[in-house]
Amino acid sequence: MRVKVTSVPVQDQEVALQFYTQKLGFVKKLDMPLGGGNRWLTVVSPEEQDGPEVLLEPAPLHFEPAKVFQKALFDAGIPWTGFYVDDVQAEYDRLTALGVEFSMEPKEMGTVKFAILDDTCGNKIQLVEEL
Amino acid sequence: MLESNESYFEKEVERIRNLIYSNQVQLDTIIATRRYINEHYHTDLNLEVLSRELLVSKYHLLRLFKRYYGQTPQQYLSQKRIEKAKEHLRAGMSVTEVCFAVGFKSLGSFSTLFKKKTGSSPVEYQKRAILKK
Repeated sequence: MRVKVTSVPVQDQEVALQFYTQKLGFVKKLDMPLGGGNRWLTVVSPEEQDGPEVLLEPAPLHFEPAKVFQKALFDAGIPWTGFYVDDVQAEYDRLTALGVEFSMEPKEMGTVKFAILDDTCGNKIQLVEEL
Repeated sequence: MLESNESYFEKEVERIRNLIYSNQVQLDTIIATRRYINEHYHTDLNLEVLSRELLVSKYHLLRLFKRYYGQTPQQYLSQKRIEKAKEHLRAGMSVTEVCFAVGFKSLGSFSTLFKKKTGSSPVEYQKRAILKK
């Protein structure tokens, strides 16, 4: 058994694809039509293109409980997921220059430093640097 | 009384910080230990050396590292060596060169650990990596 895909619910797959590739810097891996305008759409880290894929799934558009759950996490400031980076401050500076909004500036907590951004698709995402 | 604008998550972060991460001296020691491993993984590194360099008793260091990073210093060192070995193999370095470059003392122990942690031998891993290029 292998961990191959993890999913992030998004309110608009095209907007999500632009954000995850053009702002965060991921690379599109799979893009297959699933009917009704939905796609099996995954992105990967440029350094680990054979690593786990992030599935940008349109669940909040079609399944009410998914929409409710996503909003509840967002309103409570809870990140949907997190991505590891080498330098949180550098990523924060790079992304804020690109217009990305953060709800938490880089902050140290124990053995990690992290910051939280808004992915414009309904989620807060945590960037984590191991200290 | 003014209501805090902090989100639920921010309040939880503060709560956990106070509960788990209030001892800054311990944190500084353990972060310095991990950095030492990151910079010296290719040398003859063990708990004895770490204890001497960080001026902390072996068992205290072991206990703290496990508490704050969830694995022992030896487990972290092995992980670091395998991660670096993968980088060197992808770059085309020979298996023997890689073995010594990341701090293993014998080809046998390197190959065994590499296979255990990645599922393939160093040679198989390198062949696959080259084919993908």
